[in-house]
Amino acid sequence: MGDKTDVWQGTLALMVLRTLEAMGPQHGYGLARRIEQTSGDLLQLNYGTLYPALLKLEQEGYISSSWGTSENNRKAKFYELTKAGRRQLKKTAAEWNQTTAILARFLTPAEEA
Amino acid sequence: MRQLKAFVARLRGLLHSEPLEADFAAELESHVAMHTEDNIRAGLRPAEARRQALIQLGGVEKTRQLHRDRRTFPWVESIMQDVRFGCRMLLRNRAYTAVAVLTLAIGIGVSATAFTWIHAVLLQPLGGVADPNRLVTLESVTPSGGLVPTSYPDYVDFRDHLKLLDGVAVTRPAAFSVGNQDHAERVWGELVSGNFFAVLGVTPALGRVFLPTEYGDAPGSFPVVVISDRYWRSHFAADPNIAGKTIRINQHQLTIVGVAPPAFHGSMPVTAFDLWIPYMQQPLLNGVNVRMLRDRHNRNMLGFARLKPGVTSNQALDELRALAAQMSVANADVSEGMSATLMPLWKSPHGPQGLLIGPLRILSGVCILVLLIVCANVANLQLARATVREKEFSARLALGAGRMRIARQVLTESLMLTFAGALLGVAATPWMSSALRYLMPPGPMVQLVAMDTRPNLAVLGFTVGLCVFAALAAGLAPALQVGRLNLASRMNDGGRSGAAGRRNRLRSILVGSEVALALVALVGAGLFTRAFQTTMRIDPGFDPNHVLLGQFYLNTSGYNLQQREDFCRRLAEKMQAAPGVTDVAYSDGVPLGFEPSWWEELKIEGYAPRPNENMNIFRNVISPGYLPLMHIPVVEGRNFTEQDDESDKAPFVMIVNQAFVRHFFPDRDPIGQKVHGWGVEFRIVGVAKDSKYHYLSDSNLPYFYVPFRQIYRTDMALAFYVRSQDSPADVLTTLRTQTHDLDPNVTVFDAVPLKEFIGASLYPQKVAASLMAVLGSIAVLLAAVGLYSVMAYWVAQRTQEIGVRMALGAQPGHVLRMVVRQGLSLAVGGILAGGLLAFALSRLAASVSFTNSAMGAGSKLMGDGGGEPLIFVAAAVFLCALAAIAAWLPARRAASIDPMQALRTE
Repeated sequence: MGDKTDVWQGTLALMVLRTLEAMGPQHGYGLARRIEQTSGDLLQLNYGTLYPALLKLEQEGYISSSWGTSENNRKAKFYELTKAGRRQLKKTAAEWNQTTAILARFLTPAEEA
Repeated sequence: MRQLKAFVARLRGLLHSEPLEADFAAELESHVAMHTEDNIRAGLRPAEARRQALIQLGGVEKTRQLHRDRRTFPWVESIMQDVRFGCRMLLRNRAYTAVAVLTLAIGIGVSATAFTWIHAVLLQPLGGVADPNRLVTLESVTPSGGLVPTSYPDYVDFRDHLKLLDGVAVTRPAAFSVGNQDHAERVWGELVSGNFFAVLGVTPALGRVFLPTEYGDAPGSFPVVVISDRYWRSHFAADPNIAGKTIRINQHQLTIVGVAPPAFHGSMPVTAFDLWIPYMQQPLLNGVNVRMLRDRHNRNMLGFARLKPGVTSNQALDELRALAAQMSVANADVSEGMSATLMPLWKSPHGPQGLLIGPLRILSGVCILVLLIVCANVANLQLARATVREKEFSARLALGAGRMRIARQVLTESLMLTFAGALLGVAATPWMSSALRYLMPPGPMVQLVAMDTRPNLAVLGFTVGLCVFAALAAGLAPALQVGRLNLASRMNDGGRSGAAGRRNRLRSILVGSEVALALVALVGAGLFTRAFQTTMRIDPGFDPNHVLLGQFYLNTSGYNLQQREDFCRRLAEKMQAAPGVTDVAYSDGVPLGFEPSWWEELKIEGYAPRPNENMNIFRNVISPGYLPLMHIPVVEGRNFTEQDDESDKAPFVMIVNQAFVRHFFPDRDPIGQKVHGWGVEFRIVGVAKDSKYHYLSDSNLPYFYVPFRQIYRTDMALAFYVRSQDSPADVLTTLRTQTHDLDPNVTVFDAVPLKEFIGASLYPQKVAASLMAVLGSIAVLLAAVGLYSVMAYWVAQRTQEIGVRMALGAQPGHVLRMVVRQGLSLAVGGILAGGLLAFALSRLAASVSFTNSAMGAGSKLMGDGGGEPLIFVAAAVFLCALAAIAAWLPARRAASIDPMQALRTE
């Protein structure tokens, strides 16, 4: 791992859900670009790894997909949050917030000491 | 929940692999196109733009692979790949595949059939009853430990006093003549205690079963019958209003009260009955004297009981034994020293399962043998194939395949072979299963054998288990071999030497085991056949040739005792006058029939029995013509005459056999001695020569005869014998017409030449011999094919070595001798091992006995195998010859070719 961190599966799923919530329906390429941008280019995403993650989310019923036309009039597959996906996003986001908050408490005093 | 959803989605992905693959390819393509466009807009040249897009994607193929792994189950995919590849390999070598599949089909089919039988006879609980696992058989035990049926009064005591049992019931299989006089039909049913259905827990499909008011012990007051579902459909066209209708049984009207559920066939495994009638109707239906129902001596009912919930069979047994001990004191005159016991239903020696256990044990042994030989054969085939495919495997290894993966490929192929074999084998089982009836001795029981041949889980599970076992047994060695492949040397020398040494050791072991198994099969077939022949040569002590035997069921025609005796006398007179007939006689029991004969407890004046000595002596009730007809000489005293009858002037008389005299009158003249039985005093008037009574293996069995006119009782059977100058079949028509003239209502049901009938006593040996003959020859054939192919292959592999020897100046004769000698030494090793195994197994088989259904007495199937060295030697010589031929033929071919060519063969 370097400055530009590889993305691991669990967090990638959360990022995808969050991005889809923010952007609305989006194709895989758009999602990959957006995730990279949002991370302030700190994340070096191998775009290929996004697709198995999307497939997993789809199999679990958190997102749905359908073919549509991109802004440049290209055929592309668009992903969209489902109801279950929104619920899942809320849940995991809350969990993450809690986890990071707890970890922050541990780490802050340690640095001071 | 989500996991499940994903799992289902992946399963679906497995099925729709191709469209999903194309879909994702399109998605990726659009991804790359969009990225390329963006890159161009950012100022890159088109080629570079696309290259960068692909780099950032991480490669199209890699992405597709990742996607595929997530879309389906990777392991399923790779197994499917193995299967597809395996199919191609198997189809390419059709001959090899056909041989292997057929061999496996035989092995697995035979074993699955045997298991179906064993399952039906021993493991499957009774159908249509509640909680069958709590049902047990109740048997009376004689002082000497034999199992006998129970008398009705004993049953009443058990029923009324045992607290730990949820009911005790008794039953007695019986044939009835159903319908109007002219077209009576013989139907088998059970005479049962009233609580029969209640104890079994059977709920009627229609109408009702017996009511508690019908559980009583009052003779003749319950003219009701429950019929089977099968009978209801075949004879009453499934009439929904059947309850309340009447049916004519043994010339009496009985009311049908209900229909049993389709799954219920009665209280005996693999036996299907059609009628159930309260035993208390016996006096009416069969003309049995009411006194017989009250007679504790009359042990003719098979008992079973239901354990109360929470009661172990040991607790119930203790209670039963205590009660039986009290009863044996209270009824000391008939039951002294008697006890009773409980056992699982299938262990009961009465009924078909008692007869089938012996043959089934032998059968399962033989099946294991056949299966082992099959596995050895297929393992050989696979090993040979693996050697041929070494280059292919090496190439795959070199290209980066894991050894595990290739080993798995080999195992997958052998699993495919075994499953194909199993499919073929199982397809044949329903047909083979119905052959179970051929294991039953000839007689009325045969028609009753009904197998539930529907495939069931246990049989299916067993077959799958067999497949896996066979696949492992046959595929493990070749699969392990792959693990040991030496990549470099394989690729370099093109498969010339390498692991040959180790492989040869493996092959030597296989050759040895093939020989050993073949020897066991040969010796087994030899021993059983020999036992059969030996029994065939025994002189039965009477002459069954030219005698026709007819059996009558006069009681089912509504005859009383007097009428039956009259009928016999008049039929005998008529037959005596018929042309070609030399002798006529009739009796109660038939010698050497599979049906057991009966006995009477005797008190012999002047003889003090030893403590616990069994004074129940077997007997027959005969007409005066019986001994002359059978050509059994009376060696002392006189034969019975027509004057030995029921009149007051005639004293009761008895003829005993020589063994009887040897045992009870070792130093006295038997003539005129007094013997007590049936409550009367007999005088011995004659001594008949010993003959065989139950089995040809009988020896020294005390036996006696009493006159038909003095002792014939209602519960006895009636066998009619006619000796003629010509073939017995010719007399049959005469017998039928004469019988019809006498009374059109009487039908001659079972009429066969006596010679054929007594074949039943050879039945156990016959079954063992014919089973071993059939399966043994399959086994020998398989083993011979296997042995030959292994030997031939072993020699063929040495073609090159032979070439070198010849090139260095060896004579063809030398080479031949050397190869044959080495082949023989392999075979001899196998023969030694097989000989030991066969010897041990023959000891085991000699201990398998055959149960006689009435007495619980055993009859051995074969003599001690150790006493037949000739069979062992013959089998060994045969196999040595086979091995020599198998080595010699290919060796000759190898030695006859030009050395140079032999060296170039590879």
